[in-house]
Amino acid sequence: MRKFSYLTPRSLDEAISLMESYGERARYVAGGTDVLVKIKEGKLRPEYLVSLRRIPSMDRIWCEQGPSGELRIGALATHRALECSATIRWHYPILHDAVSNIGSVQIRNVATIGGNLVNAVPSADGAIPLVTLDAQVRLQGPKGARQMELLHFFMGPGQTVLDRGEVLTEIIVPPLAPRTGSAYIKFGRREAMELPLLGVGVLLSLDQEMRRCLKARIGLGVAAPTPMRAHEAEAFLEGRDLDEATLREAGRIAAEESRVRDSVRGAAWYRREMVKVLVCRMGLRCLERARAPH
Amino acid sequence: MEDLTAVGKPIPKLDAVDKATGRAVYIHDVKVPGMLYGKILYSKYPHARIVHMDTSRARRLPGVRAVLTGEDIPPVKFGFYKDNTPLKRGKVRSYRDEVAAVAAVDPDVAQEALDLIEVHYEALPAVFDPEEAMGEGAPLVHEEHRTNVLRLPWKMHLGDVEEARKQARYVVEDRFRVTWVTHCCMATSGCIAMFDSSMNLTMYSNTQIPSLAQKDYLEALEAMGLRGKRVRVIKASIGGAFGSKLDTYPYEYVAILLAQATRKPVRILFDRKEEFVATSGRQPAIIEIAQGCDPEGRLLFRDVSMILDNGAYTSWGATTPSVMMMPISSLYRVPNVRYEARCVYTNNTYSQAMRGYGNPQATFAIESSMDRLAEEAGIDRVDFRLRNANEPGDVTPQEFKITTCGLKACIEEVRRKLGWDEPRGQDEGVGMACLIHVGGGARVYKSDGCGTIIKVDDYGKVDVFTGATDMGQGADTVIAQVVAEELGVEVEDVRVIHTDTDVCPWDVGAHASRTTFVACNSALGAARNIKERILEIASRQMGEPPEKLAIRHREVFSTQEPEKRLELGKLLRKAHFSPSGQMLMAEYFYDPANENLDKTFRGNLSMTYTFGAHGVRVKVDRETGKVRVLKYVAAHDVGKAINPMLLEGQVYGGALMGIGYALTEQLLLDKGEVMNPNFRDYKILTAKDAVEIETHIVETMDKDGPFGAKGIGEPGCVPTAPAIANAIYHAVGIRMRELPMTPERVLAAILEKQRGG
Amino acid sequence: MARRISFLLNGELQELEVEDHWTLLHLLREELGLTGTKEGCGSGECGACTVLVDNKAVNSCLFLAAEAEGKEVLTIEGLASPDGTLHPLQRAFVEHGAIQCGFCTPGMILSAKALLDENPSPTEEEIRHALAGNLCRCTGYLQIFRAVRAASGQLRGSSVEVIARSTE
Repeated sequence: MRKFSYLTPRSLDEAISLMESYGERARYVAGGTDVLVKIKEGKLRPEYLVSLRRIPSMDRIWCEQGPSGELRIGALATHRALECSATIRWHYPILHDAVSNIGSVQIRNVATIGGNLVNAVPSADGAIPLVTLDAQVRLQGPKGARQMELLHFFMGPGQTVLDRGEVLTEIIVPPLAPRTGSAYIKFGRREAMELPLLGVGVLLSLDQEMRRCLKARIGLGVAAPTPMRAHEAEAFLEGRDLDEATLREAGRIAAEESRVRDSVRGAAWYRREMVKVLVCRMGLRCLERARAPH
Repeated sequence: MEDLTAVGKPIPKLDAVDKATGRAVYIHDVKVPGMLYGKILYSKYPHARIVHMDTSRARRLPGVRAVLTGEDIPPVKFGFYKDNTPLKRGKVRSYRDEVAAVAAVDPDVAQEALDLIEVHYEALPAVFDPEEAMGEGAPLVHEEHRTNVLRLPWKMHLGDVEEARKQARYVVEDRFRVTWVTHCCMATSGCIAMFDSSMNLTMYSNTQIPSLAQKDYLEALEAMGLRGKRVRVIKASIGGAFGSKLDTYPYEYVAILLAQATRKPVRILFDRKEEFVATSGRQPAIIEIAQGCDPEGRLLFRDVSMILDNGAYTSWGATTPSVMMMPISSLYRVPNVRYEARCVYTNNTYSQAMRGYGNPQATFAIESSMDRLAEEAGIDRVDFRLRNANEPGDVTPQEFKITTCGLKACIEEVRRKLGWDEPRGQDEGVGMACLIHVGGGARVYKSDGCGTIIKVDDYGKVDVFTGATDMGQGADTVIAQVVAEELGVEVEDVRVIHTDTDVCPWDVGAHASRTTFVACNSALGAARNIKERILEIASRQMGEPPEKLAIRHREVFSTQEPEKRLELGKLLRKAHFSPSGQMLMAEYFYDPANENLDKTFRGNLSMTYTFGAHGVRVKVDRETGKVRVLKYVAAHDVGKAINPMLLEGQVYGGALMGIGYALTEQLLLDKGEVMNPNFRDYKILTAKDAVEIETHIVETMDKDGPFGAKGIGEPGCVPTAPAIANAIYHAVGIRMRELPMTPERVLAAILEKQRGG
Repeated sequence: MARRISFLLNGELQELEVEDHWTLLHLLREELGLTGTKEGCGSGECGACTVLVDNKAVNSCLFLAAEAEGKEVLTIEGLASPDGTLHPLQRAFVEHGAIQCGFCTPGMILSAKALLDENPSPTEEEIRHALAGNLCRCTGYLQIFRAVRAASGQLRGSSVEVIARSTE
């Protein structure tokens, strides 16, 4: 592998100021599973890697009031930590579904949710569920801190709004409405180690009779250059009584909205077809989960 | 059969402990003093003239010891068609063409040097489709041949297919297509080439064919002006082979040339991308097949024609037709058979041997067609197969003499264990496919032999030097088991050495699932010799005639008076440390009594044949096209299971490789470039995808096999794809004719059917 | 750029100088001569390079050597006891035919160890999930699952024994 210097600042401020000094010659690194692969493939040639690993308290997962309060995830939380979190498994199954299938245990032990978001691949299994959950992200950089919707964080494949030196520090998931079910599927040709053909996340919040949809969120991965939401399909569902037929129609609308492409991993027509099928299936799973007692 | 002590037992593989503790040494772990690191520069075009190369900056880089291009090397041509050279000169014909090579003091410097080599190409029109390449005006890949169609003799006509077709009541015709898949050995390829002071060559290698590789390297040395030299091939532990090491590769000759240029040992190790791009996988094929039967469902003819994408250079892929003939002429009883295969140059990658060597490709077509014919004739698919099944004593149209044959038993076992006639759920289906494969060696060369030398020490410990190759499949262990059984010692007393051509006798190679049959028969021959001499010695020491003596658990004893016994070690020491003492050593070269095929491709290629049947129950998701395997049964006629545990491992591994072939694996080439040269996008099956395979072993006790055994290395992956394709058809009425049967393709077929297509 | 690190390797304290760009895999294989850990792909897709860092399975090909500082690293060479007694997983792999070419074996055994340390009685599903990142081309995985189940039974058996003894 090409040589680089590895810097291990102990605070966020130190990290940011190192990035400022070295500019183009430096890159941030967290778990390293994306960055090191890119360096090996010659796609990145940094002289300095500024590690974020030793920055304290950036890996916490906490929600003070359970799902009725905010869920805050430190950007350095590993996928494995998220996978093993009981809170996330019970209350945010959409996120559990996604992170428990990213790469392998070996990758998940090291790779961080922040790294996954910043890597910004259209398939990011970390991004789709969070986008479906209306997550916000906190960024901190030389010019100070800012907060924004995760959905608008992505600009294109591999591109985010991060300015030079800016670090994604935290992900904030807003409180969940009661009677909410969520689900994610990473769809591919085999059961593990998949870079998916398609990622579909759905969240549905129901009324007191557990029938009418009060809130619908549909996140799609690999259906556009960045993680996207199927806003029209969501609008279609909100206010409607939910059953298989309605969910099927929502799937159809979402498929129309998607901007799928042909690639080595799959043809556009097939992806579009799968959006239709999987939105419906995930929707049904959401209903099951919303209705099932914990 | 009397009670066996070692054969038939699930003995752990002899080197398993070394492998479980990290002690086993693979080529990647071998370092030799003064060793340099070699790396290869590959072409940037699928077809281009090399206009100009500038290696001066690479040569000047500190740490670089040699830079070679096609212009610097003597004409070393290899491959059975002799159309390949280690470094290409004048033009490149595919993206994997080797254009230059560097030897340096460490791999990073070698890589940097590659980046400094400038090559100017002039792109030429290229051709990537074999049918197009056969056409008028197609770009010529090797201009000197004046055609893209290779001059190969793959034409066979046994009986009279035209006449039989006229007589047939039911006929089906189909076109199938199979593509490139590759071995994906977990260890990548590599070698170390080293000359001694007299320019004799030692190759540390991963090869499955140490003796033939030795010959290949000798020929290369001759071409390099090194005449009358010796070649020694030393094998480290092999991290998977599956046929990938059945031919020699350009990189091996590059290592030899760099070693010559630098006068130092040179190691070349592939990274994973190189492994995908620059090694040769399974031969793709376009297959047209027609089969017909009489009103009672007896097969009358089989007519097959194939076009094989030969890629830019020729390796064993172009000889797969010689093996494809086997199922074509002899899977089931078919009196009239015709086969033609054309191999065509293109600017794609080229193929060589991969587990099954053409049998999986041909069987996919044949067994899919069988189901079609059964349906056409209105006959139950299982009955149709039973009606046409091979039987012991058959002589097939290719003149294979079927001795033991458990095909019917395998079919019945699958029918029973799979629950063939049980009611099925929505979108579920069952499918079956059978196989024939060589089981008693295969005379593809003039020799099919294997030599063994055995020596016994003063303590009754046995060393077996065999020409055979263990690449993880367990050759070492079964050889130890048969020797231990014959000599009456424990398996742990036997060490099997197979790693050094200076010490080990000749063997044609680990191919055609021949190792258990040939190497064990060879070892038995030498062991019987040793046993005879032990009994002679014992007879004199114990005062009993040899016929009345036996050896078991390290003791020689009288069968009439078992209390009369002598510990083997004692006996041997006495024989050694006395006047005119002797020590025991024996050799045996076993060459099976099989035949080369004649010019019409007739001949008893193997001493015996193995058979099997796979059955699978699948559920097809109509909305996504995903095929889920619910149950898988693999029944194999193996003659005798010398080691049931290792045998199971071959069936499990082969079947899962076959399921990958059927459903998920493909090397994607786009205008000659491999688009998925990594494990992310080349989908071999993971632990989560693993299918529970129920195995059933039929022991037909072959009289020519060691303790009755036949081969099993390849059969496991031969019938998997058609079994699954047949089950898919049963489930949702879709006939898949192309592999892999990805969800996308299955869904496309389902939707087309719904639209009335 | 180089730095001094100190970490526990197979139970022994190591204090050495490492280059910043070295992976843990490179350190183990090329600098420390521990070639039991293998490189299968170099990009975290096959698991052949798996080692345990603080009892967690990681792909050492993507783990910087510098990050081993202060941690406990276990490689295949450190699994058997000092007197050579095999770990129950090693013994089970050997006895159940879970090893053919053996190249995936060190990584596979360590992933299995991480699983059993955390979850002594895994279900079939859990075993598959834990081993999903360790590719094997030879065995078809079934004998590997058998070996892991057998070892888990053995490990549980022995700990049950200890508990019984301590209450006597």
